[in-house]
Amino acid sequence: MEDLRNRSHADVDYRKLAAPIKSAVDKFQLVPEFLKVRGLVKQHLDSFNYFANTEIKKIVRANDKIVSSVDPNLYVRFKDVRIGNPTEALEGIVEDLSPQKCRLTDKTYAAPVLVDVEYTKGSHGGYSLLEKNDVTIARMPIMLRSCCCVLFRKDEDELARLGECPLDPGGYFVIKGTEKVILIQEQLSKNRIIIDTDKKGNINASVTSSTEATKSKTVVVMEKGKMYLQLNQFAKNIPIMIVMKAMGMESDQEVVQMIGRDPRYSALLLQSIEECASLSIFTQQQALEFLEGKLKKLPYANMSTGKEGRAMSILRDVFLANVRVIKNNFRPKCIYVAVMLRRMMEAILNKDAMDDKDYVGNKRLELSGQLISLLFEDLFKTMISEVQKQADNVLSKRSRSSQLDLSMLLVKDIITQGLERALSTGNWDVKRFRMHRKGMTQVLARLSFIGTLGHVTRISPQFEKSRKVSGPRALQPSQWGMLCPCDTPEGEACGLVKNLALMTHVTTDQEEGPLIALCYCLGVEDLELLSGEELHTPNSFLIIFNGLILGKHRRPQRFANTMRKLRRIGRIGEFVSVFVNEKQWCVYIASDGGRVCRPLVIADKGISRIKEHHMKGLLDGARTFDDFLREGLVEYLDVNEENNALIALYEQDATPETTHIEIEPFTILGVCAGLIPFPHHNQSPRNTYQCAMGKQAMGNIAYNQLLRMDTLLYLLVYPQRPLLTTRTIELTGYDKLGAGQNATVAVMSYSGYDIEDAIVMNKSSLDRGFGRCIVMKKYSAVNQKYENGTSDRILRPPRKDDRNKKGENPDWERMQILDNDGIAAPGEIIRPNDVYINKESPIITKGNPKLGGLKDSDYKPSRQTFKGAEGESCVVDRVTLSSDKNYNLSIKFMIRHTRRPEVGDKFSSRHGQKGVCGTIVQQEDFPFSERGICPDLIMNPHGFPSRMTVGKMIELLGGKAGVSCGRFHYGSAFGEPSGHADRVEAISETLVKHGFSYNGKDFLYSGITGCPLQAYIFMGPIYYQKLKHMVLDKMHARGSGPRVMLTRQPTEGRARNGGLRVGEMERDCLIAYGASMLIYERLMLSSDPFEVQVCRACGLLGYYNYKLKTGICSSCKNGDNISTMKLPYACKLLIQELQSMNIVPRLRLADS
Amino acid sequence: MDPQPEPVSYICGDCGMENTLKPGDVIQCRECGYRILYKKRTRRIIQYEAR
Repeated sequence: MEDLRNRSHADVDYRKLAAPIKSAVDKFQLVPEFLKVRGLVKQHLDSFNYFANTEIKKIVRANDKIVSSVDPNLYVRFKDVRIGNPTEALEGIVEDLSPQKCRLTDKTYAAPVLVDVEYTKGSHGGYSLLEKNDVTIARMPIMLRSCCCVLFRKDEDELARLGECPLDPGGYFVIKGTEKVILIQEQLSKNRIIIDTDKKGNINASVTSSTEATKSKTVVVMEKGKMYLQLNQFAKNIPIMIVMKAMGMESDQEVVQMIGRDPRYSALLLQSIEECASLSIFTQQQALEFLEGKLKKLPYANMSTGKEGRAMSILRDVFLANVRVIKNNFRPKCIYVAVMLRRMMEAILNKDAMDDKDYVGNKRLELSGQLISLLFEDLFKTMISEVQKQADNVLSKRSRSSQLDLSMLLVKDIITQGLERALSTGNWDVKRFRMHRKGMTQVLARLSFIGTLGHVTRISPQFEKSRKVSGPRALQPSQWGMLCPCDTPEGEACGLVKNLALMTHVTTDQEEGPLIALCYCLGVEDLELLSGEELHTPNSFLIIFNGLILGKHRRPQRFANTMRKLRRIGRIGEFVSVFVNEKQWCVYIASDGGRVCRPLVIADKGISRIKEHHMKGLLDGARTFDDFLREGLVEYLDVNEENNALIALYEQDATPETTHIEIEPFTILGVCAGLIPFPHHNQSPRNTYQCAMGKQAMGNIAYNQLLRMDTLLYLLVYPQRPLLTTRTIELTGYDKLGAGQNATVAVMSYSGYDIEDAIVMNKSSLDRGFGRCIVMKKYSAVNQKYENGTSDRILRPPRKDDRNKKGENPDWERMQILDNDGIAAPGEIIRPNDVYINKESPIITKGNPKLGGLKDSDYKPSRQTFKGAEGESCVVDRVTLSSDKNYNLSIKFMIRHTRRPEVGDKFSSRHGQKGVCGTIVQQEDFPFSERGICPDLIMNPHGFPSRMTVGKMIELLGGKAGVSCGRFHYGSAFGEPSGHADRVEAISETLVKHGFSYNGKDFLYSGITGCPLQAYIFMGPIYYQKLKHMVLDKMHARGSGPRVMLTRQPTEGRARNGGLRVGEMERDCLIAYGASMLIYERLMLSSDPFEVQVCRACGLLGYYNYKLKTGICSSCKNGDNISTMKLPYACKLLIQELQSMNIVPRLRLADS
Repeated sequence: MDPQPEPVSYICGDCGMENTLKPGDVIQCRECGYRILYKKRTRRIIQYEAR
């Protein structure tokens, strides 16, 4: 009994009991919950789901009727639209599609768009109303893992059965067998006033309006103290007061009132008013006439716009198109212009009021769903007009044998092909919006798992890259937590191409009507009821909803708080943002799509709403992230609303003013930067370099990597998970699909082969499999059918004892690996110049089919031979047979090549420290410690001082402690205070406990002499990545070889076995050195000496007459002054080409 | 002429059935209708180099 009590005492952790009550709640668990609910690419999926469930219905509802213009009683009406399951109809059989099937057989992963239609049939009096359900009008490519996809809500087993990797993020499309991502497009927000300066330094206010019907850009600019309107439809700048008058605002006083009665404002407006008056325009009629005169002439004149005139219709429909004119009430538009003017004047009086175009809150991200819906809408309208045209064609014919069935005319090819073309080429051409964008889609990078993830979260800019301004490239403070500060490419696109951070969410559109109604309910005074004078009275804020002025409110803070409360209890959408802008006296409410936002913990007077029991519930699985949202513990803030919040990084830093608390600071980084251990200890460019290099690292790609047929696949033979992990690594699944190995690294100098970041590698480590990789390449062959009924054939290969008619059998050796079906068998070793398919093609493939079939002599061999590196042997890994979309037999070969590291292969740690293998040394010569530890590679210590990658050193320490104590150590960004990164002190303690020095240095013996080394060596495990750049793919040399026909110069490039050029800089060196004979030899003898006949009299080239055996000048018509000399052929060509464009180069000869 | 060589059989990617194909046949498993077939591994003895 006594004993038992003692033991129970021993179980109690006294330290835990004595510890002060932990006030800060560990909120980390929210991050994995968030990612579980949302996934890493939720923004893409949400956007596509929104399109598939809502947007597509809206589009069809807006254009739901096709009416024949010949007989208006004949029509088709779309009642409903939906996207079915991904299927494909082959020869009348409907087959289910799975993404993996599509990848393997080069198909498009698409689902039918089904509509229910109602249509009339008949003629002249007798019409019958008919209905048809589930009519397929198109095949819509489906985003993987979206709600229409077969993978939606499947568990790991089901995914495995479908041949899919559970860690694959989805969010891309499979088009004709290739995976395509629609990059997130970044653009300036639509329908918002943006105050900016133009090239001349004039202040302007611009609004890019975008409605369903039109897109337009309205600019109000201040030039020489006067305000003008710039609009595409007008040839010249229009004085703004004339526009106001044209809209019925004839009284100057009212305009001044609307802008505000501050005398400074009216003073600024004075010149504009004066200009209007000096043009003697006082009434609406006069103003409209003036505008009519300034209109751009249309190419096809006499557009009848009715009696109101074109100027009026432009003012109504194009000018500030986002402000609707209802029943010819231009007042909202006038007020909108007034607000624009007021904002401009504020900016003139106070430069701080300028808007920042690079501010993330002024940006919108356009996602795949929006882009597809744009395309679909256009194609749908095209299809409708096409159907109408066809119907009219049929109806206008006099004699019709049968009644027209309009529903039969619904063709599906226009939309299907349009979507497929846009997705596979990346060219978005929407005629109605004059949109021509290129490069919207990219082939999903499958070089490494992280590369794939990084590709799906990439954001590409809209504006041109060539501009030499640094503003858009610079890191914006407002990017915090939304966009990764590290992950951007180097060079041209630096800072323009960005990546999403870990917890970022991009919003989708939300219904506006109820929100507007709610605003009015909460005390917004309607714009209609306000006079110009009342608009800007002090202590009242304008309420601006999605760029539209709703009215004003006298107690804005109270209004904003109520809106937020309603959002927190879930009465309005969680992504609606409420932003009180005190500088502009405005409250901005936004519910539009494309805003970036992120979740934050709500705090009341600095006390977090999340308590210990909430987190316990989460850990026990009783709560999900959505429960936290619903209960108002967590909310999403967008960039604008963040300005109204005071966010504490940690709970203990919170003050009574604090409104929000960050969930975890490491979520400001993205996926690629999340791999780096201790990134906050590194110099910042190193993290950026690693972000680029992590995408090139070899490793595992997906669980289904060996089932896939990628054109090029790099795999590591023995990938490992990093010893020093981060939370992001666990969240993204990098620990399951690693791309590297833990190498024991000694930081010391060894031999001379380790200068300039080269590394020395241990030969025995390589024998054990370090850095060993597999390169798989796809080769495909198609058994083509031709138009004249002939087709290719695959033949049984000649064997050793076979003889043809002449008794020869030259090729059997190259075809040993072929089976009797003429196709290489898996498992066979294939060498360069081996045939892998013994195919023959008919010689005549056009014209009429030949009678009586084809004889053997009608075929020519079109064997495909394997071209690989000489001296290397590869293995045929897999051979698949399938039929392509033209029902041709297509055969794909995966050819595998296993490589061990060699001198010149590129390696890198996770800290942007890349280096090539400098030499490979026997383990016997490697240094070793008393315990018998021998490093896998040796890194030169000079890599540290200038790079300042302290994180790498801590990784080494942490890794060493990790292997000693058998626990994975953590190195999450900024993780020390929250316990997601181990501190160096703690690591050192562990090291000491296991008999190492606290500083990670070891006592080593030289492997060559056996003597102890003079210094202690910093040694331990570091995670090393093998990068895809390998010498075998790059090495190239040639003596003589192929030449270009035209210039007789050697070809260019490794692929064409090209020569190495002595370029102009190399030439400069030789000239400077005075090696004239070398230049002569390079440029003449080794190149292409060519004998020419030169006329000493005229200096032109002549020719050699073989009959007369003399050179003749063709311009002097004689052979008197001909000299024979040698020129490089390219020089002769240059002379002739110059002559051909009327430039006469003359050679003047002198004795040498 | 030598006796007709043994026809080559292919494995279905779904059910694992062995199929034989003649020129001009549709690429489809007889058993389950799956449209991707794999070639069988060579029956020759292959000596790989372990390095």
